[in-house]
Amino acid sequence: MLSAPHEINHLNVAVTKKILDNGCKPLVISLNQPGMVMKKTYAREGILPEAYYVIDAMTHYSGGEMVPMPQIRYVNHPADLTGLGIAITETLKAMPPVHKCILFDSLSLLLIHTPTSTAGKFLHFLTNNLRIAEASGIFLSADVGIDPVILSQISTFVDRVVTFDKLR
Amino acid sequence: MKRSDGKGSPQDTGDVFKLIFDRIQTGIIVIDPEQHIIVDINNHAEELLGIKREALKGTTCNETICPSHKGACPVTDLHTPLQNSEHILISTTGEKIPVLKTIAEASMGGKVYLIESFVDIRDRKIAEDRKVALLAYLNEAFFRIRTPLELIGQNLSTIAGQVGSATYTTEDIRSQLAINAKNIATIVATLEDLAAKAKEGDNEIPKGYLDFLSGK
Repeated sequence: MLSAPHEINHLNVAVTKKILDNGCKPLVISLNQPGMVMKKTYAREGILPEAYYVIDAMTHYSGGEMVPMPQIRYVNHPADLTGLGIAITETLKAMPPVHKCILFDSLSLLLIHTPTSTAGKFLHFLTNNLRIAEASGIFLSADVGIDPVILSQISTFVDRVVTFDKLR
Repeated sequence: MKRSDGKGSPQDTGDVFKLIFDRIQTGIIVIDPEQHIIVDINNHAEELLGIKREALKGTTCNETICPSHKGACPVTDLHTPLQNSEHILISTTGEKIPVLKTIAEASMGGKVYLIESFVDIRDRKIAEDRKVALLAYLNEAFFRIRTPLELIGQNLSTIAGQVGSATYTTEDIRSQLAINAKNIATIVATLEDLAAKAKEGDNEIPKGYLDFLSGK
């Protein structure tokens, strides 16, 4: 899902609410905010911590303490794609078998830490894993933040590329 | 036509054209189109192909210099005009040399010949590839720097709004500022890395990406 850079945080909340409305308990992969901040931001929007799982790649990166919490799994660094891949795969396996879905926030921030070509390969790996796990995935990105080559690659292994405006 | 100029000058037009034929920095091959026999090649063609004139003269072009099979000559059989088209010349050492090739018909002594001429464009191709690689680095820089910076700006504005609120603690504010500071440092390192790679002519950009940028 694409949005203007200044709307991407709103997009995260709006999509999470839509997912919850559809009876799904999402796994949110955060390359943006530490889990604790995300929890408070969600709570302000009426989204309770029990309603989602989190893979938090930002707390350790920020120098914060990785406090063990149910439904939060930590990854040391947002550039640790192996760690992210393992965390996502294992959390997907542990999730209840119906209505599995992930929300990846965001591709644009992933590009701070990895080259576009590596990001493209990682997404390919991730979408394959989603298929195997029979899970849905939503990848957020700033609308000018994705290289056209990567976007065309992504278009081949995702069902749809949607812009935020169309959600409203 | 005889010329009557001074000592050491070419004696007639035949000498003049022979001199030009062998000195010009364009490869020239003269072919008899009926049998596809190579009649002559000039010095530059010898150099590019890496083969002596005497070894080529009298051979058939589709067995030596042209990848087309017998009966599929692009000029005499397929009637495809060749004028300044890009082709690859394969030298005897196996080197693939990009050339601009033209084939024209010419009548000499009442007989029609094919005059195949080609210009070595290796330098131009290197310059083009370099330009495409630089564009790729520029594009990579755009996506890995400009948009993330916009997002960082947006995040800082959000953090500013959180200061003083009852919801977010000092640690929440600190951790988010630390993330954005680290992201800026990573972006600066990426920019330096891309600049260094572009300067070195590093070939890390995937081929598919280069092909996309060069419109292939």
